[in-house]
Amino acid sequence: MPTMTVSGHQYDLDALRVQKALQGALPEPIQEHFVVINGRRWPPKQVLALVTGLDRADFTTHQARRALTRLGFTAGRSAGPRRQHPGAATATAPSPPAAAGPPARPQPLVEDLRPFIGLWVAVRDDEVLVAAPSPKEVVAWLAQHRQRAQSMFRVPDSEQAINGAAPQ
Amino acid sequence: MRFAFRALPAAGGGTLTPRPVVGIALEGLTDAPMECLLDTGALRTRMSAELAPLAGIELTGTVTEELYVGGLKTVGALARVNLTVTDGADEFSWDAPVWFCDPWPHPFGLAGLEGFLHYFLVTIRAYDGYLDIEPRPDTEGT
Repeated sequence: MPTMTVSGHQYDLDALRVQKALQGALPEPIQEHFVVINGRRWPPKQVLALVTGLDRADFTTHQARRALTRLGFTAGRSAGPRRQHPGAATATAPSPPAAAGPPARPQPLVEDLRPFIGLWVAVRDDEVLVAAPSPKEVVAWLAQHRQRAQSMFRVPDSEQAINGAAPQ
Repeated sequence: MRFAFRALPAAGGGTLTPRPVVGIALEGLTDAPMECLLDTGALRTRMSAELAPLAGIELTGTVTEELYVGGLKTVGALARVNLTVTDGADEFSWDAPVWFCDPWPHPFGLAGLEGFLHYFLVTIRAYDGYLDIEPRPDTEGT
């Protein structure tokens, strides 16, 4: 288990301990940097604060990011709001011409939703803002972080879950 | 206003067929519009009863009905509420009957005739993966 010094304190940390410390917590909004833990994006400072109990003012984002990547977590930088679905971009955009078969279209949000199958999510601009077991937790998170979603739904765990929503 | 169909991951890999959906915000819950499946076969507009207390909607003593959705028995409680749709640029609000159902294990709400389709001109372009909605000129709303 690697020993790390953060803000003058020594900690024995490993990936499992980090994952355990995040249980029951929801990721805060990503400003720029993030680390991927259990398929979700987390602000590095939030993670290190949860793991160590330190105040976030005691270390920088880069220190947190470096500490977590040393433990094997992937880190990245948010590119900002992503491209919208071409159909949703503008209400006045001319319609694409009909062709032989539906046009192939990238669906960036689909893969981002995959870790959240079975959970409630709030999304905006092809980005998952938050995922939680209940709509109550999603709504509370949005209020707490002053975020506004475009929509909220539960990621279905089967095709039947959607088909079943329509009266038979 | 234009809404892209919702594409979703399939649990076994790949993606599910994209569905026509609209995010409908309840008054008091505007930060979290509920995604509703556009359902031309549904008479009512339905959402999970879990949402009602989050939006401050009182369901005690309201009219209820038992029904089956997808083979599952549920109880719907009627409330007349203010609803809003927006595509980020334009916004439209209207008062409509919504049935809040318990249990409601479905991923989306249902946008049916009462509550939604009666208020809009809807063009579904499944081929292109989106739908357009336009408030009816004679619809009371803002």
